[in-house]
Amino acid sequence: MQISTRQSGNATIVDVQGDIDLYNSPEVRKALLEALREKGAQRVVVNLKAVRYIDSSGVASLVEGLKVSRELGSRFILFGLSPAAREVLELSRLIRVFEVFENENEALGT
Amino acid sequence: MARSHRRNLLLEFKVPSDPKLLSVVRSAVEKLAEVVGLPEGECRSVTLAVDEALTNIIRHAYRNQRDRPIEVSCWCLCSTASRRRAGRLEFLLVDRGRGVEPSQLRGRPLSQVRPGGLGTHFIRASMDEVEYKRSAGRNRLRLVKYLGKEGSR
Repeated sequence: MQISTRQSGNATIVDVQGDIDLYNSPEVRKALLEALREKGAQRVVVNLKAVRYIDSSGVASLVEGLKVSRELGSRFILFGLSPAAREVLELSRLIRVFEVFENENEALGT
Repeated sequence: MARSHRRNLLLEFKVPSDPKLLSVVRSAVEKLAEVVGLPEGECRSVTLAVDEALTNIIRHAYRNQRDRPIEVSCWCLCSTASRRRAGRLEFLLVDRGRGVEPSQLRGRPLSQVRPGGLGTHFIRASMDEVEYKRSAGRNRLRLVKYLGKEGSR
């Protein structure tokens, strides 16, 4: 799995590539919390386009990012969900809790 | 009258409790589900269930020790009493770690937005039968997915 961040206006985009599971979800959590707390991003936009698989520990990392963003008064946005990622968010009934967009333009245009 | 089934072993291996190897098991399970003819969405849900079960073993039974054994086997049970292509895909996961409280296998309510506790819910939502037994110092988790018309989700 690979994670990188880039800036677009007041948004920090976190690009995640590969599967998110028990092995690497701590890395995802760290990147998300860094973007929110240390970089103080007003919007953190998570690009999941290249994530083919996400398990419950990956979902937990996203939920933690969402909770911290709420505490800080910033926004936490997801886009590019694969069928597998969408299915686990639906199974956990979290799909409506997150701001979810189809692509980067839509995610940044809000 | 009890229905008779032909029981075919499809896959059997032992893997250490190292999270780095979860992706290897997922690849095998997803491909196997595809080979037995499950639709794409069900291949994904079976893979998710087995992956979450292994994650639970690593985290709870073995408390994140990375060198403990997990036995994984998969069987196809085909009905011999019917010409329909009904049957079931059965996974058995065996570990020698700590026992699990039955309450931990029920999963938490989904009404709260908080991290953690979703793995068991994913397993139950993805599989048709989930059975846990503790015997002879081993945890045995049986996960069943119905094939064909017998009740596929």
